Parts: sequence; structure tokens; C-alpha cells
Amino acid sequence: MKKMYKVVIPGDFISEDVNRAGEGTYIEEGKVYAMRYGVVDDKDEIKVVPFVGKYQPAKGDVVIGRITEISFPYWIVDIASPYEARLHMSEVTSGGKKRVEFGSMHTYLDIDDLIVAKVTNTDALMRIDLGLMEDFQLGGGGRLITIPHTKVPRIIGRKGSMIRMLKEKCNCFIFVAKNGRIWIKGKEEDMNLASEVILMIAHEAHTSGLTDRVADFLNSYHRIGDTGRG
Amino acid sequence: MGLEIMDEVRRDYTYNLVRRGKREDGRDFQDYREIKVEKGIIKRAEGSARVKIGNTEVLVGVKLEPGEPFPDSPDKGVIITNAELVPLASPEFEPGPPNEDSVQLARVVDRGIRGSEAIDLSKLCIEEGEKVWIVFIDIHVLDNDGNLVDAAALGAIASLLDIHIPAERYGLSGKGEDMIPMQDKPVAVTMVDIGGEILVDPNYNEERAAVSGLTVISNTDGTLSGIQKYGREGLEEDKVSEMVDIGIEKADELRRKFL
Amino acid sequence: MKEEGIELIKDGKRLDGRGFDELRPIKIEVGVLKRADGSCYFELGDNKVIAAVYGPREMHPRHAQDAKMAVLKYRYNMAPFSVDERKRPGPDRRSVEISKVSREALEPVIIKEFYPKTEIDVYVEILQSDAGTRTAGINAASIALADAGIPMKDLVSSVAVGKIDGEVVLDLNAVEDNYGEADMPIAMIARRNTITALQMDGRMTKDEFEKGLKLAMNACQQIYELQRTALIERYSEM
Repeated sequence: MKKMYKVVIPGDFISEDVNRAGEGTYIEEGKVYAMRYGVVDDKDEIKVVPFVGKYQPAKGDVVIGRITEISFPYWIVDIASPYEARLHMSEVTSGGKKRVEFGSMHTYLDIDDLIVAKVTNTDALMRIDLGLMEDFQLGGGGRLITIPHTKVPRIIGRKGSMIRMLKEKCNCFIFVAKNGRIWIKGKEEDMNLASEVILMIAHEAHTSGLTDRVADFLNSYHRIGDTGRG
Repeated sequence: MGLEIMDEVRRDYTYNLVRRGKREDGRDFQDYREIKVEKGIIKRAEGSARVKIGNTEVLVGVKLEPGEPFPDSPDKGVIITNAELVPLASPEFEPGPPNEDSVQLARVVDRGIRGSEAIDLSKLCIEEGEKVWIVFIDIHVLDNDGNLVDAAALGAIASLLDIHIPAERYGLSGKGEDMIPMQDKPVAVTMVDIGGEILVDPNYNEERAAVSGLTVISNTDGTLSGIQKYGREGLEEDKVSEMVDIGIEKADELRRKFL
Repeated sequence: MKEEGIELIKDGKRLDGRGFDELRPIKIEVGVLKRADGSCYFELGDNKVIAAVYGPREMHPRHAQDAKMAVLKYRYNMAPFSVDERKRPGPDRRSVEISKVSREALEPVIIKEFYPKTEIDVYVEILQSDAGTRTAGINAASIALADAGIPMKDLVSSVAVGKIDGEVVLDLNAVEDNYGEADMPIAMIARRNTITALQMDGRMTKDEFEKGLKLAMNACQQIYELQRTALIERYSEM
């Protein structure tokens, strides 16, 4: 029997401890209420972690983006957020030593290319600037999985415990970005396992005892001579 | 951009005035602006009225035509109400098909007339199941300084009270009534909530400063024949009750003075 | 169209056996659509409606964006087969008004400041109609908005009251709406007793209006409990 964290809907009363009110809550007349549909996490601050939601970029976040448009001197990047982000062309020319010619931007990054980038700036007009993480390439032969960004902390686990276990047991390269996009790379059947586990964690993120259940699942997963799985 | 900033400044100004118990034009919270009703000014319409409430100006024209009844009421006339927020009336009105505001305006006015049975539709039958009189009520807004509903509703009833049915034009003389048979005079009263205060007959600035409003349409005997809430915020139940009371009271005043 | 001719109340009961203050049966399913960000299927008696929410997403055209907050859009639409006499596809004036009133019913609870320059789209499709579709739509939309993770202060609940054979009753069905004397749809934030939508069509005395308002407010509390239960249970079955 899985134990649930407390599920709340918008408007549910949570606590009178207004000093600890955190993300996903609002305060009215000395009381803390839920602002989202999700689970209550009151370990330090009183937060409501939503089941789903759109990713809101914050400075410093590392995200996986997809190029959607070339608009000199920027690439327009989709980062699974209601807002588009932009990558300046100087980002591809190590320290701006070389100039990118007008009309040749696509030779560096083209439409539909995936990049790993850091959010370098956001402003009140919701303009989002990205900085390319050059030491990180998403080459071919990998797979992109998208989960609600709210589940990312569960994939990482406390002090990285969950992601470490996944990488080890699935024998895959796994990169989890803040915006809910996950890049995995490995052998076909290893990637299948990793995908399945990641989606399972995302689906059950609001239950406790998840780490143990995932460990059990991974340990009992048969690889050679698989029949009837998936 | 400029319009938006001016808007905000005006909204704050209006709000602050209300908090000090005042309105821009010096009115009391429950007072209407100066109202003028002029009937019969459009010759081509069977009935017409020009209503001014302060600077708001609305022209209503009523035309009658024989037409087919609705299948489920074969012996009753038909009312069709339409409103045009024409571009010359306000910098915000754009040419084009009716938008949600003009649709709402027409339907609210229509509701009041229908609910009160102001027009005795059973007396507008020419030939049961075949031909009845269709009453077209067309609201043409000429200047929007707030509270289009009350002006339009007043104009509609004023137009209707004075109509001769154009039987000869359609070769139908001798059949049925001469005048449109009116049984009641519903009046719409619109109020807004600004900072918790109820203001009757909001002008344009007050409409923008308000977070919600209510139109109350009532009849000669004090019964209600239409209510419509507007706005992006909620209203408390006791405020709604208070507005309904004020609405019925003010409707009586307007009815006596102008209809 | 109000017609005369049939007895709507017999021996103190309505034609479908309900008491004056009884709601029709309600069925709720949350998260029924894969592509939408949030969704809800809602049945109220013979009404069948489905609500979907997309967003917040970038708003187009850009000049219509609000620099400070999200813009809520609501589209109420009836499927052609939802009513006895086929309804021609596309918005008609009634749908346009209902869409506006429904949007305004939900605006007070949505915390729009969180997502400036975006739009939140609510689409409500009426699949089968038996009077009260706009109220079912608002109830479903509320749930779909929460399901989509939209930041909200509370849910909105909605019901209609009306007057039949001189009595004020709750939740009219189509026959009662056609032959009745008044119809009053209401939406409210049940927990705060705040009214976010209110329309009255027909003829009522002030006292009947007050009575109807009280009836509706009680019913909205009941509906709120059902909405809440549906949302909580969605994540409790594992």
C-alpha cells in the first residue's frame, strides 16, 4: 500500500504558520492556502509541489532547448516554457573570436537541433537569454524524454541518490535538465529500461517509498531473453 | 502603450475619488447623469428614440416586417434585438462582425423585454403558423461614455411605446392592431462596485475603474425581468441584494420621468 | 422560448421525481485528454460536457499580449448533434455571450500575474445538452484549470435555479427550462460565498430571486465537494 503525500487543490487550507509559506501557496488573513493542485511538502518551507505545470525559467537553470527559428543574430529556442528563449550568435564562437556571417547561422545550429544551455538572464518583459554550455554536446544516437518539470527533483532524488541508481542500473548516460527534458544515451534495450523507469518515477512522484520500489523494479528486470515486456 | 498608461492613471484617480466619497462629475453615488430621451427622430423606422445619458449617446430604431413565426410558437410575433458598437462611438470600437460586448448588450436588452412580456407577442400574429410581425430592435451606439445598457434599454422601450404597425405597406390593412401592444415598461439600471461602494450609472472611467457590475431590469410592479453580472471579480451576496433593491428603486424613477 | 401548457409539478414533485432543491446526478472524470494540459469530463443529468485547458502558452497576436499578466480565453461550443434540432457548427450569439460570462466567472480565481504575456485557453464542448450546459461547463473548466496546474485561489462552482409553476427550484432540465417562468444561472467561489456569474432570464419577484440565490449557494457547496473529491481521488488511486 503506497503512502501518499497530502494531495491538495487550490484553495485548500494548509497551515497558520505564515512565516514558512513557500512556493505554490498564498497567504490570506493569516492563513496559508494551496495555490496549485499538487502535494504538500512541509519539511522546511511549506510548499505545494504541483503535479504538472509549465516551466518558468530562472537564472542559472540548465535546460535542454530545441532550436525553432533563426532570427539573426539570435536563434529562437523552445525550452518547454510558455516563453521562448534566445541564444545570441556569439555563443557559438568561443569568446566571440570569430564572426558568424549573416545567412550562415544554420551551419552552426539549425532548426530542430537540441542544445544544452544555461539561463543567463530573464527580465520583466519575459525575455530569456541562454548561454550555450559548450562542454556538452547532444550527439546522435540518444533519446529525449520529456516529463513535467515538477517531477525533476524526484528523478534526481535526495542528494542525487535516485539518478545515481538509474545511471548505474540502466547503464546509460542520463542528463536531467531543469525544464523536464531528459537526455539518455546507451544501448537500445538499456535506453528502453531507463525510459520506462523515468516515466514510472514521474507517474508516481507523489508517493513515498518510491526509491525502494524503483530499486526493486530495476533489480528484478530481466534483460537477456526478454519476453512479453513492453 | 500610451493609452494603457493613461488608463491606469485615470483608474487610480477615479478609485481615489470614490474612496473620498466623490465622483468625477460631482454626482451622488446613486444618481444618474442628465438623461434626455427624444422620440420619433428617424422617419424610416416605425419607432425610434435617441437617448443621452451624460455624454453617452445611443440611437435605437425599431422596424417591423412580416415574417415566419418560430415553429414552437406559431401564433406569436418575434423580437430580434441587435446592437452595433460602431467605430465612430469610441477609439476602442473596431469595424467588423459583432464582438462579445455588442452581443451581450443586445441580449441583455432583449432579455428584459422578453422577460417582462412588455410586447404582447400574441397580438402580433397575422396568420397563425404562416405570418407574424417581426419586431427588429436595432441599437446603434453613437458615443460611448459608459453605461450603454441603460441607454439602449431606455431607447428600446421609448421606441416601442410609439409605434404604428405598418400594415398598409405590406397590404395587410384591417388585420390586427394599429399600435404595438405594450403590456409593461421594463427599465434597466446598471451599477458598478468600486472599492466596495455601489455606483449607479457608471461613466466610461468608472466602468474601467470598477472590478464588477450588475444590471438589474425591473418592471412596473417591481418584479425582475433580467439580471446580468459583469466583470473580472466576484460580488458578495449581500452586495448583490443591495444592488437589486437599488435597481428596482431607480427603475421606478426613470420610468416615471421618461416613459 | 417559454411556452405554456404543461404541468411541471405534480403532487409536490417535479416530472423527473426530484424535490425542489435536488440536483441531477453528477459524474466527474479528471484528466481525460492526452494532448491538453488539463481536462475534465462532466455530466449533469443528461448534460455531457468536456473541458480542456491549454496553457499558459505564448500569446498571439503579440500586440494583444498583456505585459503584466496572462490573458484568459474561454470558448463555449455546442456540438451539432448535442441538441434535438441540429445546431449549425460555429459560434452563434448565444455561445458568444455564454463564453464571455463563463470567462468572467473564472477570472476572479486565476492568479494571472504569474505568467505575463501568455494566454490560458479554456475550451468547453457540449456533447449532449439538457439545460444547464453553461453551468456544467464552468464546473468542468474549473477542474480542468486545476488539472493543468494553473495557479488559482480556489475553484468555481456553478448551478442554475429557476421558477416552474410558480415554485423556485434547483437545476432545471430542458423541459422545465422550456416551459418554466425564469432561469437563473449562477457561479460562485463556494468557500467564500462570492458570486462570480449571475444572470436571470424570465420574470421573478425580488423574494423569489433571494430564495433562488440561497438555493443556488447551497447547491454550489455540494458541487464544490464533488469537484474536490474528483481531483483528490485522481491521485489517490495507485
